[in-house]
Amino acid sequence: MGAIGYLYRRLWTNWAKKALRKPVTYVYIVFILFYLSAVPFSFRMIAEQFGINSPDGMAAVLTALAFWIVPANLVAYAKRKGLVYRNSDVHFLFPAPVSPKRVLLYAHIKTLFMQVILNLFAVACGVIMFHVPAWKLGLYVVFSLVVENVTEGCLMLLLYGSERLGEKQRGWIVKAAYGLIAIAVAIGVYYYLDMGLSGAAVWAFLNSDAVKLIPIVGWYISVIHLLFGGATVINILGTVLYFCLMAAVLAAAMCMKCTGAFYEDAAKFAEDYEEVLENQRQGGTRMRIGKKKKFGRASIRWKGTGAKAIFYRQLLEYKKSKFFIFDVSTLFSLGAGIVIPWLYIREGGFGDAEPFVIPLVSAYFTFIFTTLNGKWAKELKSPYTYLIPDSPFAKLMNATAIQLIQCLINGLLITVPGAIVMGMQPLAAVLCVVGCAVLSCNKLYAMAVAEIAVGGTLGRVGKQLFQLFIQCFVIMAAVMGGVLGAMAGGVVMAYCLMDVFLILFTLVFMVIAALNFYKMETV
Amino acid sequence: MKIEIFNREICVCALLATNSSCAKSSAEMEKNMLEVVNLSKKYGKMLAVDDVGFTVPDGRIGILLGPNGAGKSTVIKSIAGLLRYKGSIRIQGIDSRETEAKKCFAYVPELPSMYEALTVREHMEFINRAYGVEATETEIDTLLEKFELKDKQDKLGNELSKGMMQKVSICCALIIRPKVILLDEPMVGLDPAAIKELKEVILELKEQGCTVLISTHMLEMVKELWDVTFVMDKGHILGTYVKEELANEDLEELFFAVTGQGEKKNTEAGDGAKEGR
Repeated sequence: MGAIGYLYRRLWTNWAKKALRKPVTYVYIVFILFYLSAVPFSFRMIAEQFGINSPDGMAAVLTALAFWIVPANLVAYAKRKGLVYRNSDVHFLFPAPVSPKRVLLYAHIKTLFMQVILNLFAVACGVIMFHVPAWKLGLYVVFSLVVENVTEGCLMLLLYGSERLGEKQRGWIVKAAYGLIAIAVAIGVYYYLDMGLSGAAVWAFLNSDAVKLIPIVGWYISVIHLLFGGATVINILGTVLYFCLMAAVLAAAMCMKCTGAFYEDAAKFAEDYEEVLENQRQGGTRMRIGKKKKFGRASIRWKGTGAKAIFYRQLLEYKKSKFFIFDVSTLFSLGAGIVIPWLYIREGGFGDAEPFVIPLVSAYFTFIFTTLNGKWAKELKSPYTYLIPDSPFAKLMNATAIQLIQCLINGLLITVPGAIVMGMQPLAAVLCVVGCAVLSCNKLYAMAVAEIAVGGTLGRVGKQLFQLFIQCFVIMAAVMGGVLGAMAGGVVMAYCLMDVFLILFTLVFMVIAALNFYKMETV
Repeated sequence: MKIEIFNREICVCALLATNSSCAKSSAEMEKNMLEVVNLSKKYGKMLAVDDVGFTVPDGRIGILLGPNGAGKSTVIKSIAGLLRYKGSIRIQGIDSRETEAKKCFAYVPELPSMYEALTVREHMEFINRAYGVEATETEIDTLLEKFELKDKQDKLGNELSKGMMQKVSICCALIIRPKVILLDEPMVGLDPAAIKELKEVILELKEQGCTVLISTHMLEMVKELWDVTFVMDKGHILGTYVKEELANEDLEELFFAVTGQGEKKNTEAGDGAKEGR
């Protein structure tokens, strides 16, 4: 067995052994299996509703996906991106006497596991949603795992590994890939002008012969239509062209000289990738690979001592940031603040649920931004936070003060426009703002609670799931309070009880979070 | 005054070698295991290494010495084939990017990075296979024992401290029985015992005819090791010093003289004294 084969075998074996020792792995497996099997069933109704519950429907869906995936891959390879290397590969594999082409294939094959999973998902969808015969699905899996993989692998070798292509030529290839999308868009525009904006136009576009003749991506689509739709002249022609392409790129890739000039770009990618992973581990905002966060110049007047230093340091960092203390959650709150009154006017009210629309949207945002913990999450990992001579509670307050202000601003953005349009009582509006703000604050401290409760036993995802679970518990309690309040004395009472429950839980979480600081200080 | 004397001595014995023709000097007649010719490297518009050339003969220990940002790591990474560059790098006359050349050189980077799911021993087994060497279990055991890793051999990459990682990195480099070994700041992160061990290993390698190139900014760490030193600053080689030709000169003073850092240090000291007065 070669070095790369050995590397794969050991990495997978050790990873599997380690994963299977953790009980949480089994929870993940059940969760993923449930999700992968539930999705086709839930989408079956939609497929029936739109009349695409046939093999042709599957071909249409795969056609749409092809336009999304194939040109994007070509662009990534031409830019020498899209292959995931780690710093360990740069350290051990790149300087080793292993053919650089094999090093490229090593990264490409890493995606095979995910491809197998996606193919199994496609098979499940094919059977449940599109009623495709088993032999056709079998043929599709073989085509996808063998022919498509060989073609894409060779294209990757030629684009990523080529030492003849300069910056200019690579730029042309990127433009050509975008050109493929432009041709498809032009064909789509033609159908739109001809048939108007309708499902029939979309269906005609996805089954169009012109689309099947677009180089590379269209030829791939022809194979898909031949498999699921049946033989037509264009389907056969496109399929022949696709197999010719495979033969040509295979021959070219085998003959191509590659001495490893790509190592520099791959090493840079590995470095950027590890940085993004580390940032995610710290609970930071999502970074794009290779895009460094830019900071401007700013200054502050430092006041006070002890834990206040944390507050002023954060303030300085925020002032240097492009969007100050605002992030994607602020943008979503603003968006919701606009959409809620617009929907209210369009629909002529929300019925009985009207008073609870804003808190429910706010609760939904708390869920989807669970992983976004801002600077607070980083403070918990910084040794300076623990070394500063001050009380744990002072540290906690100063470390979260700016984010608490952000929570309040988000609460105002999501509530005020809707409250005005819906004609909410001022007191109810204030209580609603408080509820939304406290809900966001609760998320901050729930993270610290998760860290204490399961930080030592579960991994990052496990901790996030636990955080979601306790947030869900708090929201359920607040909903119960809201229902009781509504039954007892109307909207204001409902908001009051909701806020009381939220504030109580948040205070408990705060104390636990402060204990976290104390515990780590004294250990 | 002192600096002037040093500069004169540099002209006599050490040759101000900013290009490859100067660098060959006394080693010209020897077999050049590692040869760097007219090496230039740009990162975007920034010229990190400018027309650098030097040779390290068979069985010699070469030191790339320079302050932070001098371009030492760029040179080492270029030799290891991790960067695109202008110029040529040959190992025993073979282009360093060729597989045949790669088979005989080992590389220890400044910051070690382990495979998270591979144990210490599996790292060595992987290197064994990648380089096509047939190191026996006993040889692996001996190396692990030498660097006090025997009890850690079943630990995964993500369970190791930085110092441990550096030791594994060194063991992986040694297991391939290299003819040329490139060490980029190898002492960083090592404990005193491991530094002592590494120095002994380097001298052993030299005795066995292995060519060693060490990049460092810590002069005192390589004082007893070096045969030839290339002082680098701002992407250039400012001076090449061969130990036998230096007689009783102190390398540290020569380094400060040639990089101008000694002058800066003296001026700063003078200023400090004035301020003190």
